[in-house]
Amino acid sequence: MAAVQPKSVKHVPTLCYNCVSGPDFMTVKVVDGVATEIEPNFAAAEVHPAKGKVCVKAYGLVQKTYNPNRILTPMKRTNPKKGRNEDPGFVPISWDEALDLVAGKLNAARAKGLVDEAGLPRVAVSLGHGGTPSNYMGTFPAFLAAWGPVDFSFGSGQGVKCVHSEHLYGEFWHRGFTVASDTPNARYVIAVGANVEVTGGPCAVIRHADARIRGYKRVQVEPSLTATGACSAEWVPIRPKTDPAFLFALIHVLMHENGLGKLDIPFLRDRTASPYLIAPDGLYLRDPQSGKPLVWDEVSGTAVPHDTAGAQPAVAGAYRLAHAVVVDADKERREYSDVEGKTAYEMLLQHIAKYTPEWAETICDVKAATIRRIANEYLEAASIGETIEIDGKTLSLRPVAVTLGKSVNNGWGAYECCWARTVLAALVGALENPGGLVGTTVRLNKSRDNRHLSVAPGEDGFMVQYFNPTSKEEWQSTPSTRNLHQTLVPIVGHNGAWSQALGPTQLAWMFQGERPDDWSMPMPTLPDVWIVYRSNPSISFWDTRHLAEVAARFPFMACVAYTVDETNYMADVLLPEATDLESTQMIRMGGTKYMEQFWDYKGVVLRQKAVEPQGEARDFTWITTELARRTGLLDPYFGAINKGISGVSPLKGEGYDFSLDPASEPAPEQIWDAVCRAASVTLSEGREEHDLEWFRENGFFAVPMSRLEWYLTPTMEKLGLRYELPYQERLLRAGRELGRRLHEKKMNWWDEQLSEYTALPEWHDVPGRWIRNLEKSGAKLEDFPFWLLTTKSMQYHAGGNAAIEVMHEVAQNLRGHAGVIMNAKTAAGLGIAEGDRVEVRSHIGATYGKASLMQGIRPDTLVIIGQFDHWATPFAKTMDAPSLNTIAPMSLDLTDATGSGADIVRVGVRRAEGMAA
Amino acid sequence: MKKPLLRASSLASPKQQHNWDWRAATNFIAGGAGGGLLLWAAVVNASADATRMAILLGLILIGSGLTCVWFEIGRPWRALNVYRHFATSWMTREAVVALGVFVAGGLAFLTGASALSFLAGILGLTFLYSQARILAANKGIPAWRHPRSISLMIATGLAEGAGFLVCVLSLSSTPVAFPVLAGLIALIVVRAYFWKSYLGGLVADGAPDATLKVLSGIAPRLLVVGHVLPALAVVAAMAGMPGRAGLSFAAGIMVVAGGWFLKFTLVRRAAFTQGLALLHLPVRGQGTAGAAAKPGWKVAPGVKAG
Amino acid sequence: MKRYVMSIDLRRCVGCQTCTAACKGANATPPGIQWRRVLDIETGEFPDVRRTFLPMACMHCANPPCEKVCPTRATTKRADGLVAIDYDLCIGCANCVMACPYDARSIVHEAHFAYGDTPMASEAARFDPDRIGVSMKCTFCVDRIDLAARTGQIPGVDPEVTPACVNSCISGAMEFGDIEDPESSVSRLLAQTQHYRMHEELGTEPGVYYIWDQS
Repeated sequence: MAAVQPKSVKHVPTLCYNCVSGPDFMTVKVVDGVATEIEPNFAAAEVHPAKGKVCVKAYGLVQKTYNPNRILTPMKRTNPKKGRNEDPGFVPISWDEALDLVAGKLNAARAKGLVDEAGLPRVAVSLGHGGTPSNYMGTFPAFLAAWGPVDFSFGSGQGVKCVHSEHLYGEFWHRGFTVASDTPNARYVIAVGANVEVTGGPCAVIRHADARIRGYKRVQVEPSLTATGACSAEWVPIRPKTDPAFLFALIHVLMHENGLGKLDIPFLRDRTASPYLIAPDGLYLRDPQSGKPLVWDEVSGTAVPHDTAGAQPAVAGAYRLAHAVVVDADKERREYSDVEGKTAYEMLLQHIAKYTPEWAETICDVKAATIRRIANEYLEAASIGETIEIDGKTLSLRPVAVTLGKSVNNGWGAYECCWARTVLAALVGALENPGGLVGTTVRLNKSRDNRHLSVAPGEDGFMVQYFNPTSKEEWQSTPSTRNLHQTLVPIVGHNGAWSQALGPTQLAWMFQGERPDDWSMPMPTLPDVWIVYRSNPSISFWDTRHLAEVAARFPFMACVAYTVDETNYMADVLLPEATDLESTQMIRMGGTKYMEQFWDYKGVVLRQKAVEPQGEARDFTWITTELARRTGLLDPYFGAINKGISGVSPLKGEGYDFSLDPASEPAPEQIWDAVCRAASVTLSEGREEHDLEWFRENGFFAVPMSRLEWYLTPTMEKLGLRYELPYQERLLRAGRELGRRLHEKKMNWWDEQLSEYTALPEWHDVPGRWIRNLEKSGAKLEDFPFWLLTTKSMQYHAGGNAAIEVMHEVAQNLRGHAGVIMNAKTAAGLGIAEGDRVEVRSHIGATYGKASLMQGIRPDTLVIIGQFDHWATPFAKTMDAPSLNTIAPMSLDLTDATGSGADIVRVGVRRAEGMAA
Repeated sequence: MKKPLLRASSLASPKQQHNWDWRAATNFIAGGAGGGLLLWAAVVNASADATRMAILLGLILIGSGLTCVWFEIGRPWRALNVYRHFATSWMTREAVVALGVFVAGGLAFLTGASALSFLAGILGLTFLYSQARILAANKGIPAWRHPRSISLMIATGLAEGAGFLVCVLSLSSTPVAFPVLAGLIALIVVRAYFWKSYLGGLVADGAPDATLKVLSGIAPRLLVVGHVLPALAVVAAMAGMPGRAGLSFAAGIMVVAGGWFLKFTLVRRAAFTQGLALLHLPVRGQGTAGAAAKPGWKVAPGVKAG
Repeated sequence: MKRYVMSIDLRRCVGCQTCTAACKGANATPPGIQWRRVLDIETGEFPDVRRTFLPMACMHCANPPCEKVCPTRATTKRADGLVAIDYDLCIGCANCVMACPYDARSIVHEAHFAYGDTPMASEAARFDPDRIGVSMKCTFCVDRIDLAARTGQIPGVDPEVTPACVNSCISGAMEFGDIEDPESSVSRLLAQTQHYRMHEELGTEPGVYYIWDQS
């Protein structure tokens, strides 16, 4: 096409991990050293569920590479004043100067002690969206491991923008940090806000497309008609944040209108705690000798420990027990004689009796008949009794699932939703069985690459859990992180790779300003050094204008920078990193990962340098190694790399040794060569060894994996374990203990959150919390008559593509991008026409954009797609796009017990007169 | 020129065409009138000076239209490629005819020979016809592709030509002849008829709502300015009201102005694209296909219920 | 006799614009110019609303109105069914743009680039001055189809000779192939499904089939 014939054309295999639903395969066409095109990698078509394809985001990577707005040399700030209205005065400096500057600050912090006087780490690191940075940051995790305590509290959205309660409770109940329908076998999916056609990546898209052709039914329950709703058989426009009521009513129909006889009795009996007997005080009745929870054995007609061989536990009913004990918070033991014990199922049955479809209709604005029909369709599609053979093993086939989306499964009401949908799966035996509801990864437990290995026998017949302790002796009364994750959130634990980062990240930001009056812990400090990587919290969190002001107060901030952005505008040093097409890293692929990434293969895939980095940008592994050298941490750094941190498997194991000698200061290429060899040897169980060069040529290495690994139930069966459902005695006790600890410290500011620790969740007025928060601030409800929600965009996903012109261009083909989506009739009533510039105002501020009128949205709801409202990022700042984040408050009132909030805020909307763009 | 991004909602409906701007419109506006003028100049064959003036004006009109187009096309220095597709392209044919128009018209102007004038007139009519066919061949623009657009374009070209001729004659020493004025009235009536017929046909056969809105929006003004007022002026002139030349001139100008207003509207403002049609909405897993849809159209010919 | 056509399964399409972006990459189209795009169509009234994603591009008609009106013969219908444009002949008169009922064609009069007047390296490497001022549209990735004619590979089967949009589609919505070959994947799929072609009443005989249900 171009006049000059190219001298060389290469197709370089690599990967895209621009969202959590990666990695996906691609090739980069490189013409005479210039990346020109992104194409699928059809060589991976067999191993990849999405047939070697990447989604639209990857097609922006060529522009991402050559974007003239990139930071291409290290820079330092010359203006000591920081703020939105202070030009940072960034000037280019050498890499030596930049690295010395950062290392100098790190060394100074280290010299003072790794934690400060408040007991908090002196170094904080913020990473961007959904764990995707770890797939780009090379050996940085090894540096962090070598460093020691690091605070990940200052979130860029995790905790509030992620599916937080799903992460925590999903992993608790079934090792499902992310939870999906088993789409390849699904027949009926109720998607409550789950926008999987947009966020699930190519694997989810092709699977759901195949399922549609197969004739599955998906019911989308969501206030607006998203792309996923569009591609569903039915759309149910539910009132925002009333999803728990809808789900409770589904349970009601199953249990009260159909009854136990139509449910999966063997599953409830053997794989759940349904038969456990509950004392009148709400605790498990236990065997006085062994302390084990009791069940009613229908064979012997007596109460026996839950694991008694040969017993036939009763699922339903109430039974009299001669003698039993309960164990309350702080191991307080009480004796009971001649006590009535109701099975957990019975407790649930009685609990759910009041939540009829007719009741739910008044809450959700969904007709009772619709709720009833959906529940019955779900039950029928569950085809209880049906089986499927997978790799020679017969499993139950239960092709139904309820999936939850962002803002449904985080913030107030999310516990209820997560619980209800998991109970819905358990009632029909669809939990972790083919066709049903499956967890796909673990992050709060180990091993992070095989959730089956994270399951071991724990207390009371359930799998082991590693809660943050709440006992008097062990409770962390002085927080070790600024988000107080160990102090406030038992369920998030402290063992998993992500436990800390999934604490209440908004508290870290909020408490830098005001703290509750009855705060009796050390005052939170600012970290001496703050490192920000692939993250822009000043756009992606809430109350972003205020957040940027807090960020401006951090004493030293080093940002790995792509362009100038709203967060690194406050930075002291900018470090330009080699981006996606310019850098090298090996990561795991396949097996079971986030979202719908559960494959028939598992393996490793190389992101490789397809083109030379632009300007002075450097591979992050090089940057990291230099920092390790300048902070004197080369030994522990390479020690961590040798252990497999940052890599895929340990560099030394049985029959192989590729470990690196710190003394030789191996270059990044040598590091990845060793990682490649170790990965291929371990994956192939010693049969094959491939070096970096081989991976550069071939891109990936995969070995087949049985689909049995998709489902946890066979493992639970093998270990004789039960899912900790439906009754939440453990959570009840943890909440009581946590309450006692806080109250002992004379703190009551977390009391509202403690109310979430219930054994059987009750409906409480979830949307009302936002209304009360509004009124508490002195605002009048009538001034803010709408709910404002947000939804994701595949082109931008969480917003990381905002500086990429082509993403903006193609996104404009879809309704609502860079605008304010509102109901056409509502708009007409307000004199707002398509394309009019409107002001959307909450009680903390306003955001502006063009009205995009649709029929597919509730009249009481507005939606703003993505996260925009940039003021510093080149290109993005010219988009004039609104953002919910600008006007959504951070508030303790709106923080649930897991520390999460939700993307929802009450707003008013009007034409922005005279402000036409 | 940076093309502005269209909003998704606009993409879903017929869009106003922007590829033929005022320059292309000028070709239809001026060129059509010029063709009509050449024809009537030959037919009326008034005084030699007047005829030559009319021929010159006709050539200027056609020439300026073509010049405008030349400035609009993307590759003006390849303009001669326009002659490569006589078999089916009315644009090629228009260009061929234009050559003849300029040769015959030029010679007629120079020599005053009535045979050449007549030839130029016939070619002027052919030019007008070619232009009408260019528009009608554009299947992408429902307002143009309607078969009745051809008669409308010809009718208005002829009326405009007559209007111009009356203007030329009214400026000359001899008064405008009675039959010429009668002819102008006839052409006004004919154009009004074809306009009504065209609009009715468009409504009946279907067109984008936006097209119909624009066209019906101009109907009253077009009727008054382009038809009623000039007809009254002509009648007054014929009835012997004082200032016959002025009345005739005014009538001629109004006929031309009405035609140009009509053509500018048709080529620019009412020219909305076909848009899209969904004969069936897809079945997403289960349930029924949705009803057919044709955004931006009220009646949807060719669309059957889903 | 061959006729290459495309089928688009509307049941699968999720409107993600991957094909739009892949096309822009494969064909190096300037900002704002999309040889194909996926439209987002909403029908009905709240709460009975449908939203349909409709990929649109050149339909490579068997009776192309663009070809008929083209005064230069720059636009031609090839023996294999592709409607092609010879950029060296086209004068950019836009008659074909007006003739196309699918809004498939566009003309760029001045070079412009993603981030202003200066091309990025990737844009500079592929900038083609021949495409300024002339009519452009989806070519069905004609270079690949021509390559197939030389190598014997099969468009729609071998990715190397299949249009970029089809290759990129993550929902598997598109098939491409020779409709005259009853064994081609596109022929087989069309035999099993209900489909329509857009604006057939205009006599264009389009080469893109929209699938909406099973047969």
